[in-house]
Amino acid sequence: MSEQDLRSELSNSVVEPLLPIEKKLIGWSLSLGIGLLVVLLIANHFYPIKG
Amino acid sequence: MSNAALAGELGADNSAEKTAGTCAAPGLSEDWLAVWIGLLVFVLALVGVAGPNLLGWVVSTSVWTDVSGALGPAAKNYAGLGGIGALLVTYVALLVVLSVGAAALKIDVRRFALRFTVVFAIAYASWVVGSYAHFAAVTPSDFKKFGIDWSLRLTNEGGFIFALVAGLIISNFFPRFAEWLKEAIRPELYIKIAIVILGAFIAVTVAGKLSLASSVLLRGIAAIIEAYLIYWSVVYFVARKWFGFSREWAAPLASGISICGVAAAIATGGAIRSRPSVPVLVSSLVVVFAVVEVLILPFVAQTYLSHEPLVAAAWIGLAVKTDGAAVAAGGITEALILAKAAAEGVQYEPGWILGTTAAIKVFIDVFIGVWAFILAYIWTNHINVQKGGEKARVGEIWQRFPKFILGFVLTFLVGFYLASTATPDTLARITPAIGTANAFRVIFFILTFFSIGVLSNFRSLWREGLGKLVAVYVVSLFGFVVWVGLLVSWIFFSGVKPPLVN
Repeated sequence: MSEQDLRSELSNSVVEPLLPIEKKLIGWSLSLGIGLLVVLLIANHFYPIKG
Repeated sequence: MSNAALAGELGADNSAEKTAGTCAAPGLSEDWLAVWIGLLVFVLALVGVAGPNLLGWVVSTSVWTDVSGALGPAAKNYAGLGGIGALLVTYVALLVVLSVGAAALKIDVRRFALRFTVVFAIAYASWVVGSYAHFAAVTPSDFKKFGIDWSLRLTNEGGFIFALVAGLIISNFFPRFAEWLKEAIRPELYIKIAIVILGAFIAVTVAGKLSLASSVLLRGIAAIIEAYLIYWSVVYFVARKWFGFSREWAAPLASGISICGVAAAIATGGAIRSRPSVPVLVSSLVVVFAVVEVLILPFVAQTYLSHEPLVAAAWIGLAVKTDGAAVAAGGITEALILAKAAAEGVQYEPGWILGTTAAIKVFIDVFIGVWAFILAYIWTNHINVQKGGEKARVGEIWQRFPKFILGFVLTFLVGFYLASTATPDTLARITPAIGTANAFRVIFFILTFFSIGVLSNFRSLWREGLGKLVAVYVVSLFGFVVWVGLLVSWIFFSGVKPPLVN
């Protein structure tokens, strides 16, 4: 498929609804990411960077 | 940027090439080539610790008002070469080594050599122009020394911007010339060689400050979490839900914006079995936006984050996409912030800002293969389930692992061991030896900046059909990635300063 075809495909694409597995991927990634950042934040509080 | 031109950029990863269907000549991968060339420079530099300085002839540039005094060899014992002699020797040495590398990559060596000559000439000339005192001088003592009363205060590293702009001019106003140069336009190769060499420089910088260095490295974990789990999921959601992109487009786009640009977009395209042209088109946007970031973010960091140097370093590593642009932007940010601090009477040790940016980027890179495997598993088992179709293989993790990181880790470990166990006398010889290797790192940075410029055709943004792709990139990058990156960098790095020069 040429680059031109891809561009016209982008302009006229049909919307694909989010599948349950995609919602799970987004939800789990985000939750895990925020959770791990909070854990790191707590660790950062108790073990601050030493110069 | 054409697909053909982008092929050079994508040449970093053989697996990616196979996936993208570009530049698929069998041979050594650019990743491994970067490891071997970087190690060659490192080993030759180390010989200088115990014996003769084998690399002292490498050219270096000083800030100048009289161009005849701008160039010189890095080591005094090669002073007889003079500036032009050092430049010629450096050019010939790079030409020979990189031509051997080109042969290993199955590239036409004669075509590469001719084009590399032109690339080196323009890129290094841009660097020299950038070192002109009216562009580079920063402190009042510099002004006095050079007898000038104004300067753009871009620092010596402002030459990187000049190299980038030279590449942009060629790409956007002389596209045929840009196309002609493409065999030698290999930003991923150049930056990966630089990163392998950088490992040793960082090691010598942090030796003796293990507590601070290990604390900074541990906080690199936050960058991995942010890039893969938070950025990716939000950008994927925005692309799918708000902009209506198909899964085939949204996944490489999310990886390109969130993780590390071109390599991640290509790896994701392969993982979800997209058509080869999809990640290639996404990658062309990644490169263009990386250039925009390089031209803006270091100056923003200097203006608003000069009192939080490591926040600035981590932010650049998280916000700027593609390895080349991110690490190079880290170099400019370091120069700008050190210069501003110096003007205020604070002398930070060089290497910490660049080292933090590079560490953040390397940490993120390490997990590309793992993330690609996870996506491949989900796509082949739950989204694009095909009876008898190819399933995700654990081997893909290693296949997509950026091998140049092995070189970075090796030079870091060896350099760190040598620097932390050496006697003061030996350490006094190790530091200049690694400094000589670092002069090569600077040259590979220059080549990277110029190459990124040549690959960035801004007219591609106005082409029909790409508007939606550009829109999701702008919304995600400047509406989310940059700000969350700043917030996380601030949380984990605020209040932490690089050591002061004794």
